[in-house]
Amino acid sequence: MPELIAPIAGNVWKILVAVGDKVELDDELVILEALKMETPIYCDDAGTVTEIKVKEGDAVNEDDVLIVID
Amino acid sequence: MSRKQTPLRPYFEKMPEIGKQLREGEVRRSQANVELVREQEEIIAQEILRVKNAGIPAEKVHSRGGMTIYDRLEYLVDEGTWSPLHSLYNPTDNEEGCTGVVNGIGKIEGKWAVIIGFDNKVMAGAWIAGQSENILMVTDMAKRLNVPLVWLTNCSGVKLMEQETVYAGRRSSGAPFYRHADLNHLGIPILNGIYGTNPAGGGYQGISPTILLAHDGANIAVGGAGIVGGMNPKGYIDEEAAQALIEGTKNFKGKVPGRVETHFDQTAYFREAHDTEQGVLDGIKDYMRMMPAYDPTVFRVAEPAEPKFSLEDLNLILPANQKRPYDAIQILARLTDNSEFMEYRPDYGREVFTGIAKIDGFPVAFIGNQQGVFPGYPDYANGEYPGVGGKHYREGLIKQGEFVTLCGRDNLPIIWLQDTTGIDVGDLAEEAELLALGQSLVYSIEQTELSMMCVVLRKGTAAAHYIMCGPQANNNNAFTLGTPLTEIYVMHGETAAAASYARRLVKEEAAGNDLAPTLEKMNQMIQDYQDKSRPAYCAKTGFVDEIVSLPELRKYIQAFTGANYQNPKSITPVHQMLLPRIIKG
Repeated sequence: MPELIAPIAGNVWKILVAVGDKVELDDELVILEALKMETPIYCDDAGTVTEIKVKEGDAVNEDDVLIVID
Repeated sequence: MSRKQTPLRPYFEKMPEIGKQLREGEVRRSQANVELVREQEEIIAQEILRVKNAGIPAEKVHSRGGMTIYDRLEYLVDEGTWSPLHSLYNPTDNEEGCTGVVNGIGKIEGKWAVIIGFDNKVMAGAWIAGQSENILMVTDMAKRLNVPLVWLTNCSGVKLMEQETVYAGRRSSGAPFYRHADLNHLGIPILNGIYGTNPAGGGYQGISPTILLAHDGANIAVGGAGIVGGMNPKGYIDEEAAQALIEGTKNFKGKVPGRVETHFDQTAYFREAHDTEQGVLDGIKDYMRMMPAYDPTVFRVAEPAEPKFSLEDLNLILPANQKRPYDAIQILARLTDNSEFMEYRPDYGREVFTGIAKIDGFPVAFIGNQQGVFPGYPDYANGEYPGVGGKHYREGLIKQGEFVTLCGRDNLPIIWLQDTTGIDVGDLAEEAELLALGQSLVYSIEQTELSMMCVVLRKGTAAAHYIMCGPQANNNNAFTLGTPLTEIYVMHGETAAAASYARRLVKEEAAGNDLAPTLEKMNQMIQDYQDKSRPAYCAKTGFVDEIVSLPELRKYIQAFTGANYQNPKSITPVHQMLLPRIIKG
């Protein structure tokens, strides 16, 4: 089951999908905020969002799982 | 059997390919970005239209049988090569809406020239505020690129109602005459097509170039015929003096001095006189064919080639959201011949890329900011914070200084792609010598004799805007371009507001006062920074020499490169270049 991973530590600024949403390759799913920059996290495979492991405002570490896609 | 080839073929014929095709999803999600870019392009387009329509209507000039400056340029310049500069330059907000001259770089009869003309629709080409600075930027460019300067003179002299804004001072409207003398002294020819009435300042504008070609209706003179009164001993104008002036003007029958019958037939200052406006321009074309220029083959290291990827992709790749990172190499891949780039020390100083590419088959150097986050970098931070793209750190500064110095040795013109938020700050940065290394890069640039051009892709901020060959590099920077996404300021408005008002906030809170008035001032400051950093403002004030759409960037880079290699003052034999060997190792 593909997992969307945080590439850097930061805060979850926006979550752009909900559980059950169909997503496509390169869709923007989450935006992290760190070091005064927005880091968009893109979907690397098509599928359905089955689990969102974070909420907006959460602090995340590098390699934390953000979203699970089936 | 004869055999021929380009020099140092193993290095230049096929360089490493960079970039990749955008995926469908990347294109889809970037459509909103394209719209944001278009919005800014539309603002710039409207401003340019306003400037083109400044002064009397073009139809009025046409009805008199004349040509506007834009008609003259269209007739003179080779199709598809005109690259305008300073279109929106108007630093003092003149009521005319411009500075009364139109200029840029383009080819005439296949040869690059810096070209400038008076806008004859605007007060018959009068001297107005900001104009001399505009002219000086252009004469400096001809000097830097060592290409002919072509003038289309049509200058009525000082706008007398505002003489104090143009006449006196170090960089006033008299300074270009010295610049013309300087260019002549350096062996850079100035061709001058002369139209209309050019008294006083217009006269020196007419006489100071190298080769003068006149329209039959033109004149150049120390003074004009319009001065019919002279000094009034009373020191003011009363009814009696006014009547004398009226009579003097009515009865004035003299012809304007300095006509073709004087300066062609008598003094022979004019090499040619033409009965049509086009004839003058044809004369300039004839002389341009005589101007010094190497055949491009002398300096090409490969056949010219287009980038492998579409220039239109640039509107998808460069984020309008200034907080978003992007792959800077994807930008570069859309600018260089065949999307090739030979990178210098890619693993050192990761926040910047440096290397050699080809533009129209000529070797050039590129330096630019990488974007994104660099965990574990810079070393001197000891993991306290990660490196961020757009910032400069110790290794990147050393790499740039080193690369510039080698480019100077190899005579490689440099194109800088700026998108920078500054140089790292704090005690660790000071211990890492960033202050000195920044100035060291400035020194490296100044030590070269190279032409450079700068593109502020998005941000030009803090000292980093200076050290990456911003327009402040007066002796090297030929011109600086902005894009529809350019922002130039000393720091972001929010940072500036915090720096300016943080202490006051502390005091107000301690005193139990309402914070709202201070917050209002802070937000006003942020808005002010926003308003005074946008592309149109940058162009108006001269922060950049032109705002250019992203897909047009390559055209300007081609113009810069072609002009640079037309008649270089210094040559490094390609087979003796050091940089390609250093890169190969």
